[in-house]
Amino acid sequence: MDHPLVEIAGLTKSYGPFRALDECTLEIRQGEVFGLLGPNGAGKTTLIRTLLGYLKPTSGTASIAGLDCLKQSVEVRQVVSYLPAEAALYARFRGTDVLRFFAELRPGGSYGRALALAEQLELNIATRVGYMSTGMRQKLAFAAVMSAEAPLYILDEPTANLDPTVRGTVLGLVKRAQGEGKTIIFSSHVLSEVEEVCDRVAILRKGRVAHLQVIEELRSRHRILATLSGPHVELPAELALQMQVVNQSGHELQMETDAPLAPLLGWLATLPLKDMRVEPVGLRSVYEGVHRPAA
Amino acid sequence: MNRTLLKKCIRDARLLWICCAGLLFAFAWLRMYVVSRVEMDSFARIVGELWDKWSAFSPVSLEQLLSYSGRIAITFDEPIVVFGMAVFAITRGSDCVSGELGRGTLEMLLAQPLSRLQVICTQSAVTVYGIALISICVWGGLTAGIHTFSVQEEVQREFVIPYIKIRIPNPFAPKEPVRIPLSEKVNANDFLPATVNLFALGVCVAGVTTFLSACDRYRWRTIGLASGLFVLQMIVKLGAMAIPEFKWLNYGTIFTAYNPQVIVELAVRSPDTVWNLVMRSPSGEFLSLGPVGHDLVLIGIGLVGYVAAAIIFQRRDLPAPL
Repeated sequence: MDHPLVEIAGLTKSYGPFRALDECTLEIRQGEVFGLLGPNGAGKTTLIRTLLGYLKPTSGTASIAGLDCLKQSVEVRQVVSYLPAEAALYARFRGTDVLRFFAELRPGGSYGRALALAEQLELNIATRVGYMSTGMRQKLAFAAVMSAEAPLYILDEPTANLDPTVRGTVLGLVKRAQGEGKTIIFSSHVLSEVEEVCDRVAILRKGRVAHLQVIEELRSRHRILATLSGPHVELPAELALQMQVVNQSGHELQMETDAPLAPLLGWLATLPLKDMRVEPVGLRSVYEGVHRPAA
Repeated sequence: MNRTLLKKCIRDARLLWICCAGLLFAFAWLRMYVVSRVEMDSFARIVGELWDKWSAFSPVSLEQLLSYSGRIAITFDEPIVVFGMAVFAITRGSDCVSGELGRGTLEMLLAQPLSRLQVICTQSAVTVYGIALISICVWGGLTAGIHTFSVQEEVQREFVIPYIKIRIPNPFAPKEPVRIPLSEKVNANDFLPATVNLFALGVCVAGVTTFLSACDRYRWRTIGLASGLFVLQMIVKLGAMAIPEFKWLNYGTIFTAYNPQVIVELAVRSPDTVWNLVMRSPSGEFLSLGPVGHDLVLIGIGLVGYVAAAIIFQRRDLPAPL
C-alpha cells in the first residue's frame, strides 16, 4: 500500500501567462483511492490529461508504474484505464458494440466482464448510443472502463449525471476495485462521495496542490460549537493541548479536536451552556478552509 | 495498425462510401447511356460550332473530342465525379482528428494503449482504400456502360452480287441506321490510367484535408477550409485556361496534374507512353511530366499532407472536449 504508483514532481502546464498546473507535486500509493478536489479550473482535468499524455507539460515530470507519462505514453495507457468527464462515445454504436470495441482494443480487456458490469448498472446495452440518455452513456463508459484489467483507474467525475441508486453502485464498484488491489484516482465535485470512497484527497487551487488530506484523520476530528449564557472562560491547560480554538467571539466558542470528546464534554457541562453542537469536521470544512481565502 | 480500430474506421466510412461509390458507378454508367444516345454527327455539329470558344477549355484536340473515347473521357472531368470524389476525401480526411476531437470520442479512444500514429494511419488507410475503391467503381460504371449500350451509326447500304457473294456499297441508296455495341468502338482498359489519375486526385485532397484536420479542433472549420481550397484550385485552373496571360497559374493548382482526358487520348493514340513518368521528344528531350508523373505529383502532395498531419497530431496538445 505504500509503494508510489504515480509520481508527479513539479508538474507545470502553462498556456501563455496562465498556469493551468503550477509546480504540482504528488505521490499516489498503490492500492489507494486518491481523491482530486477543486473548483472548476483548479487543474484536476489538466493534471489527469497530462498523466495520460494528452497534454505536454511545460516543466516537471510525471510517471506511472515507473513509466514516463510523456515519453512512454502508450505503455502508460496500458496500465491506466481512464474515464473522462462526460465521456463521449460513438453515436452509431449500440451499447454492446461499445463494450466489445473497448474490450478488444485493450490487451487483457474482457467483453464478458464489461457485460457483467453493464448488468450490474442496469444498463440497456441493446440501445444505440445516440438514443441513450446522458446517464446511460455515463454508465456505459463506466462499464467499459472498469472492465479493463489495469492497475490504475482514473475516474473523472464518474458519478456525474447518475441517479442516487446508481451512484451507490458506482461507489461500491470503486471500493471493490480497491479491494482487488487496484489504485484509483477519483476526481469529483461531490465532497460526500470523495469522503466516502477515498483514502487521501488532494485539494487543488489555481493549479497547485493546496492541501493533502488523509480521510481517516478527518473521520476522528470533531467540531464543537458552544454558546454560553455567561462570559467566556479559558480552556483548562490539560484540554488546551488537545483542542484547537477556531473561533471565540462574545458568547460563541468554536473548537476542533481529534482527541476523545469525554473530557471536553465534562468540562463544558460545568459551564453556563445555552446551546451546544458536536459534529464531524468533514471534508467540506477542509475544502472551504482551502478555498475561502481565494474568494 | 490495429485490427479493432480498422474495423471501426471501416464502419464509420461505410455509409458514405456506399453513397459515393454507388452514385459515381451509376453516374458513369448513365453517362455511357448519354454517349450512346447522342449521335456522333449531332455532337460534332454542336462542338464544331463552339470550338472557337471551347478550344481554350479543352485539354484535348478536336479530333480526340469527337471520338467515342474522347467523349467518354469527359466523364472524369464531370463535376459529379470530381465533387463526388472530393466529398468522400474531404469528409473522411476531416474526420480523422478534428472530427473525433469535436465529437469528444478521441478522449476515450486515446485512453486506450494506442499511439496517435496508429490512429491517424488506420484512419488514413481506410480513406485511401475507400478512394481506390471509388475510382474502381467509376471505371466499373464506364465498363458496364461500354458493354451495355450501343451507338447508332449510319452506314452505306450494300448489295450482294449473287453466286460470288461480294458486298458492294450502294451509293444511290439512302444510308441505313445500325446500332453498334459501344465495346466495339472503345476499349474499357483505355480508361484505367485516367482512373488512376482520379485516385491520385482523391489521395491529394484527402491528404491535405487530413493535415488541416490535424491542426484543428472543429470539423466544420476543417471541411470549410478544405472545400474552399478545393474550389479555389478549380477557379485558378479555369483562370489559367481562360486568360493566356495567367497561364503561369497552372503551377499553382493541383488540377494541372489532373488530366484524365489527355491521359485517355494518350492511351488510345500512343499506348506505349501512357504509363510514362515523363514525356520526351524523339531526341530524348524532356517535354513534360507523363501520366504517372502527374499521378505522383498528386499522390506526393497527399503524402506530404499525411506526413505533416502525423507530425502535428503527435506533437500537439489535445484540447478537452467542449
